[in-house]
Amino acid sequence: MTSRETALAIPEPSPVWRGQFAITAGRIGLALALLAAWKLGADAVGPLYVADPIGVFQRILGDTLSGGLLRHVYVTLRLSATGFAIGCAFGVALPFLLRRMPRLTRAVEPYIMASVGVPKYALVPLFILWFGIDDAPKLWLVGLLVFYPIFIAVFAGIRNVDRGLISMARVVGASEAAISREVIWNSLLPFFFAALKIALPRAISAAIIGEFLVGNEGLGYMIEYSRQNFDTTGVFAGVVVAMALVLVINAALARVDRRLNAWRPVERHMEP
Amino acid sequence: MAAVPVLEVRGLSKRFAERRGRDPSSWVIKDLSFTVNDGEFLTIIGPSGSGKTTLLNMLAQIDTASGGELFFQSQAAPIDDPKSLKPGLSRKIGYVTQEDNLLPWRTTLQNVLFPLLVQRRLDSETRARAESLILAVGLAGFENHYPHELSGGMRKRASLIRTLVYDPPVILMDEPFGALDAETRAQLQDDLLRLWSLGRKTIVFVTHDIAEAIALGDRTLVLSRSPARIAGEHANTIPRPRDIRGIMTHPQFAVLYQRIRGQVQ
Amino acid sequence: MATPQHTESPPAAGQARIAASLRARGDQLLVMVLLFAIWQGLSLAFGTYWIGSPWGVAARLARGVASGEVLRHASYTLLEAAAGFFIGALPAIALPFALRRLPILTAILDPFMMGGYGAPKLALAPLFILWFGIGIESKIALVAITVFFIVYFSAQAGVRALDGRLVQMAQVMGANERDVARHIVLPGAVPYIFTGIRIAMPYSIGGAVIAELISANRGLGYLIQLAAMNFDTTGVFVALTATTCIVFLGNWSVSAVDRRLLRWRPRPDLDMQAGS
Repeated sequence: MTSRETALAIPEPSPVWRGQFAITAGRIGLALALLAAWKLGADAVGPLYVADPIGVFQRILGDTLSGGLLRHVYVTLRLSATGFAIGCAFGVALPFLLRRMPRLTRAVEPYIMASVGVPKYALVPLFILWFGIDDAPKLWLVGLLVFYPIFIAVFAGIRNVDRGLISMARVVGASEAAISREVIWNSLLPFFFAALKIALPRAISAAIIGEFLVGNEGLGYMIEYSRQNFDTTGVFAGVVVAMALVLVINAALARVDRRLNAWRPVERHMEP
Repeated sequence: MAAVPVLEVRGLSKRFAERRGRDPSSWVIKDLSFTVNDGEFLTIIGPSGSGKTTLLNMLAQIDTASGGELFFQSQAAPIDDPKSLKPGLSRKIGYVTQEDNLLPWRTTLQNVLFPLLVQRRLDSETRARAESLILAVGLAGFENHYPHELSGGMRKRASLIRTLVYDPPVILMDEPFGALDAETRAQLQDDLLRLWSLGRKTIVFVTHDIAEAIALGDRTLVLSRSPARIAGEHANTIPRPRDIRGIMTHPQFAVLYQRIRGQVQ
Repeated sequence: MATPQHTESPPAAGQARIAASLRARGDQLLVMVLLFAIWQGLSLAFGTYWIGSPWGVAARLARGVASGEVLRHASYTLLEAAAGFFIGALPAIALPFALRRLPILTAILDPFMMGGYGAPKLALAPLFILWFGIGIESKIALVAITVFFIVYFSAQAGVRALDGRLVQMAQVMGANERDVARHIVLPGAVPYIFTGIRIAMPYSIGGAVIAELISANRGLGYLIQLAAMNFDTTGVFVALTATTCIVFLGNWSVSAVDRRLLRWRPRPDLDMQAGS
């Protein structure tokens, strides 16, 4: 209570509407300043290091119209989606399976946790060696990068389910499957969605980085190919599209998350 | 001993800032006036929510008033402008808040030394004073414990001596013993009176517990419900040193209790 | 499995728990042996071209360490990760402090910071290589920018979590602005900053390795790529093991510092690993 009244702690903008205007104006100003800095940088440093912004956008436009860019984006998205589906499926299914085998879980858990420490990107050359130079190694990469956060979240979510609710369900005669479906799944949904917000953008950036290393299509390939040909405009174009793609997906996820938040069940065991 | 006012409040009023789209909030404190004399132990009673904490916040200069005047040692203190507030009035007014507000990352001893640190008065003498205070309230052996390792009562004691260590002439206390069990409370009341009698500072002690107010104070003010104003003033001549655990048997206790009780309703 | 907080249990239950814990350890050992056996079996079945045997990898690793080669590349990668980490983390910590009393600036920056946080920084690797060459600078830059956004938000949360009452208390005692920043804001923010550091640490090593995979002439990522291109699976495993070790080393050091620095925190153990 008192910290609200005191004017001597963190100051708050007052009145709110005036602050909001200044903030929005400041943001627009900053964005324009950054764009201006980009242009100046391009003029100052030369086309090899910083591509001219107008040139970049022309390239994006041109590539989109010619269809080439769309093809690359499609390939990347298809890769991400497939890998995401695989990783997600395993990430959700495995904890449920492990739930029925507590002894196995205790035995295996430290190794799973240890494997989190292995940098998955570092495995790509191995995957290339094993699975060839098509989509397979990239799918493995995306799958793994999606698997871990989902698995950990679902695992933790299951672990944190209110045991009272489970007991209640057993008492009224629910089968194990029904318990899994009704009690556990609903309890862990918030954890799952939190992990989803991490895993989905990761799937896309993993696809892109995989394409840096292998393959001949996709956004990542386009960026890396441009780099090797010193085509700075191409590099910038690819990077801009990649960033925009991920940011749009993040924003969409945030919107979905906000709407789903409304019905979120009372979490008795959520950590603060 | 002539009563010398050290703190004087005239027509103090407080209402909280209006919020957009709501009716103007009501007065929490309206037209409150009283004096605090030098060296006295003044207790203030009021029902919960009667603005006791708000009053102390204004006295301590960490909050502004919506009206009225405040005088400290006959000098006016600026209390209407947030920018000119001087918390603690340059260390003349100490404030023991309801929550212990110990810094969680400092040990007991470090917490007690903290005011000396920021006042740049940390030397062997003040350090010795801190250590003797720790002993005096029975926290010996816990100097290097962190707050989360201490019980509620111990944290209260630490927070108490943290203010005592830098010896402000006036000390405000906001229900410092409220959350404690009866025995710990009695012990701390004892400790407080003992420490107070050694230095004869001025203490303004807020509580909702009538028995505590009588046991500790030279004078008790009763605040009315919102908007708070002085509902009554009761002189307390039970002789000192007082026996906390036995004070209820003193004849004057019952009289005071009835009178104050009637006003608090 | 979940270990909900037990109330005081009688000695029999305590003994049962010790027995269960021992059994779990035994199981874990069994699993490890099994994993190695499977590994060995696979390498025998498919040949060391496809999967180096555990023994072969261990021997090669030992040789690599003895000759100093592994350590040389490892230290190169570590250097990239560490330098990038500091270059990224220090401004990320300083910025929320500097902007503490300017909430409008923070609000203006927010969407840009969130954009930077959400954008895939690793996708910038080719751009940095274009700019800085295939040497150490491009890796450091990549790590720095990755770490910056992560630590920024943690530091920001730490500064925001400031308990106003502690500030008031300090002010009543005569603390000035600098005292408050130093004694109240900073220590309070440290746990949050540490969370950010803990999260960012594996990203710093991962970022260095990825950049090396794309283009480099030194470092563990380079070793991995080199071995892969020579179809030297054992070499790949050796380099991978070294990389993983470094990640564990990093995690361990962060935990060690965390334990020392944050002794004052009450510790409800929220770890997933509680119980194993």
